[in-house]
Parts: sequence; C-alpha cells; structure tokens
Amino acid sequence: MDLVRIDAVHKHFGSNHVLKGIDLRIGAGEVVAIIGRSGSGKSTLLRSINGLESIDDGQIEVDGEKLTAGQTDLRALRQKVGMVFQQFNLFPHLKVGENVMLAPQVVKKMSRADCEPIAKAMLAKVGLAEKFDAYPDQLSGGQQQRVAIARALAMQPKVMLCDEITSALDPELVNEVLAVVKQLAVEGMTLIMVTHEMRFARDVGNKLVFMYQGKVHESGDPKELFANPQTPELQSFIGAIN
Amino acid sequence: MMTEFTLWDIIRNLITGLEWTVGLSLTAFLLGGAVGLLVLTARIGRFPWLQKAMKGYIELFQGTPLLMQLFLVFFGISLMGIDVPAWLAAAIGLTLFTSAYLAEIWRGCVEAIPKGQWEASSSLAMSWVEQMRYVVLPQALRIAIAPTVGFSVQVVKGTSVASIIGFAELTKTGGMLANATFKPFLVFGLVAVGYFILCYPLSHFAMRLERKYRGSSSH
Ligand SMILES: Nc1ncnc2c1ncn2[C@@H]1O[C@H](COP(=O)(O)OP(=O)(O)OP(=O)(O)O)[C@@H](O)[C@H]1O
Ligand SMILES: [Mg+2]
Repeated sequence: MDLVRIDAVHKHFGSNHVLKGIDLRIGAGEVVAIIGRSGSGKSTLLRSINGLESIDDGQIEVDGEKLTAGQTDLRALRQKVGMVFQQFNLFPHLKVGENVMLAPQVVKKMSRADCEPIAKAMLAKVGLAEKFDAYPDQLSGGQQQRVAIARALAMQPKVMLCDEITSALDPELVNEVLAVVKQLAVEGMTLIMVTHEMRFARDVGNKLVFMYQGKVHESGDPKELFANPQTPELQSFIGAIN
Repeated sequence: MMTEFTLWDIIRNLITGLEWTVGLSLTAFLLGGAVGLLVLTARIGRFPWLQKAMKGYIELFQGTPLLMQLFLVFFGISLMGIDVPAWLAAAIGLTLFTSAYLAEIWRGCVEAIPKGQWEASSSLAMSWVEQMRYVVLPQALRIAIAPTVGFSVQVVKGTSVASIIGFAELTKTGGMLANATFKPFLVFGLVAVGYFILCYPLSHFAMRLERKYRGSSSH
C-alpha cells in the first residue's frame, strides 16, 4: 500500500516550468532521499506535498487525502504531513514546550493537560526534555532544529518532509540532528527528505530520487544507485560530490 | 471695553483648551486604533477587492492634508443637511486620519514577520485566523508598540487643525486669547509649551521602547 502517491504533477513559476510531470510512490515506513542540483525542483516538489506550493496539474494523495490543482482546503492533508525547514522556523515568542503544543491545542482542540505529556514525550525523543521552558533563542541551532522536529511530531503525522534540515547548521551540530532523523527512520516513520548529506542518504535511506530539470531522472535503491548510476547526469552529479 | 487678563487668566483658559486637545487626541487615537484594526484586517485579508479598497482608503488619507480631510468631513456632513458640531467633525476627521496611518504602520509590522513563520504554522495545519492570532500578531504587536506610540505624537499635533473649523482646543483658545490680550507671542509661547508637555513624554517613551525592542530577544 502506498502512503504517498504523486501522479503527473506539474508546477510553473511564471514561465518557468519547474516540475515537469512527477510520478512517485512512497510506501509507509519508507525513507526517501531526494537529491539533485540546485534549481532542479527538489524543494518545490517537497513543498507541493503539503500544499505550501500549489500545483498546476496532476494529483497528490497522502493517506487518502487528495490534493489537486487549485485546491485550497488543506487542513486534513496537513494534519497528516509534518514538515521541518532549513531555517527551523520556531515561534520565537513561545517557549519550547509551547512551540510543540501550539498546533495540537489550536488545530486538534486538545486541552493543555492532554498536550503536555505528548509534548514532553516528543521533546524527550529528540533529547531535549529539559528545555521545555526555554525560549528558542536560548538554544543552539542543532537544538532548535530538534525542537522543530518534535513540534512536527506532536501532530502525529503519517509522513515527515525535511528540506535540507542540516544545511543551516554549523558542521559540529549536524550529527545530533541526523541522529534524531535516523532514530525516526528506525522507528518506522515515513520520511521524505531533500538532502546534501549523501552518506546519510545512502546509509539511512531506502529509496533515492535523483531530480534533474524538473523530472525524476533516476530513482531506486540508494546503495545501488550510488554504486551504479545509470544516467550520465547522475554519474556527473555523484562525481561532483566525491 | 477690554477686560484685563492676568497671566493666570491666560493660563487658566489655555488649560481648558489643553483639556479639549487631550480629549480629542484620546478619542481620535482610541477610535482610530479600533477602526485601524478593521482596516488592517481588510488590507491584509484574503479578499482582493477589500484589499484594494483599503489600499485606496489609506492612500487617500496619506495623500491629502489633514486640514482638507477635516474640511471635507465638516462641510460634507453639513451639505447633507445635518448640522455637525465642530468637535464631532474634528473627532470623525481625526479618527479616520488616525485609522489610515495606524493601519499602514501595523501592516508594516505584520509584513516584517518572516515568511518562515507563516510556512511553519501553515504546515502545522493552522488556518489563517489561527496563524494571525497565535503566531503573527503576537510578534507584530511587539514591534508595533514603538511606532504606534510615536504616531500618537502626530495625532496630538494634528488636533491643532481642528481650530480652523472652530473647535476650541488649545490652538483655537490661544488664538482667541491672543486677540483679546494683544500678547500673541506670550500666548502662543504658552500654547507651544502646552503641546510640548503632551508630546515630549510620548516621543521620549517611544524612543525608549524603540531602543528596548531593537536587537533584544523577541519574547
Ligand atoms: N517562489 C518562487 N518563485 C519563483 N520561482 C521559484 C520560486 N521558488 C522556486 N523557484 C524556481 O523554481 C526552480 C526550482 O527551485 P527549487 O527551490 O525547487 O530548487 P531546489 O532543487 O530545491 O534547489 P536548491 O538545491 O538550491 O534548494 C528554480 O529555478 C527556482 O528559481
Ligand atoms: Mg531547495
């Protein structure tokens, strides 16, 4: 059973045809790494999955929630899709615990008493249980990003989208965030991540998607693709990194 | 026969005028703030025609002198056969003026909130109203305080225009006293002191808020 189905999705920014017919199937528990050159449409594809970008054609379905061109009611879909951003985007006026509890309270209308144990459990999962009452700007970048992961998890999504979530971090903070993501993968969370961490994509991912000029150019088992890229574009992309 | 005015008589009358200036300023600021909030909501809301209408409203008030706005309200309402007292016309005119400026100031504050805050709250399935209520406005409010207090100084000074349609606030009182006493320099000197007493603490306060919030942490 596919959890995420992407069918013939097209997206334009003005005259710029950014997604040129994307088809993708992602099963529950799969860990998908999307790689590709800058401008190849990775972020746009990811952001289409929860409707941050509207699509012009095609259809996206997540756990039975459909999304088509021109759709505006995204509340049901977005409750099933969590997202973590490169820039963390924590709410700076709220404490860490409040950041994590806000959406369950406001969107799911849960009481604070019901949210608090969930928030604490999610913060414990990312190793930050003791930061419940801290403000985001009192945390390091790596800690902030882990809070952002906990915040997304608190909505109990079916799938998590991660867009270069370690790219804004100092190198020494990258691993603590990757460790959390790896733990999620081990626990069976469905993950779709745009990443430049090729080693992570190979070791943790079980599907690799190589995007090239707005299309899925090549996809498959990460270890196999890295060892045996079929297309010259993927060969040169991997070559450029190593 | 001319009455002799003592200095105390002058000051006493000016204080009465000052009280009307304060009353008019407060009315304009509070009502203008309330109307401004509505204008803001429409201006940044999701209905394009309302957005455009409010943009026009704001530009109209920012692009014409306050005096003209007051004239138009005063004589416009009279034209409809309704006799408006000067204080009411002044209050309406200044309220509209204030609402347009505050809406624009506040829009700037809302737009200063980074796009990432909208995206994060969107991806958590929050609706526009929820995003506004819990994420954007609390942050915008903080940065709005200093310019809002700063603008209140403009409102206080703006009330002096009401003298021209005959409302006896501080400036109008000063004019009458100057005519009666033949001491315009003394009288208007005191009028200026009156405005300064009102405005200086406000602008000083605004500057302190500005300094406090600039560069400080955001909670
Ligand atoms: N909001 C936007 N408005 C206009 N054009 C955009 C917008 N967002 C992206 N684009 C364009 O769409 C194309 C794909 O962008 P996208 O951000 O998806 O690339 P990417 O693969 O994520 O690149 P990177 O590795 O640099 O993040 C680029 O040409 C980009 O300039
Ligand atoms: Mg990108």
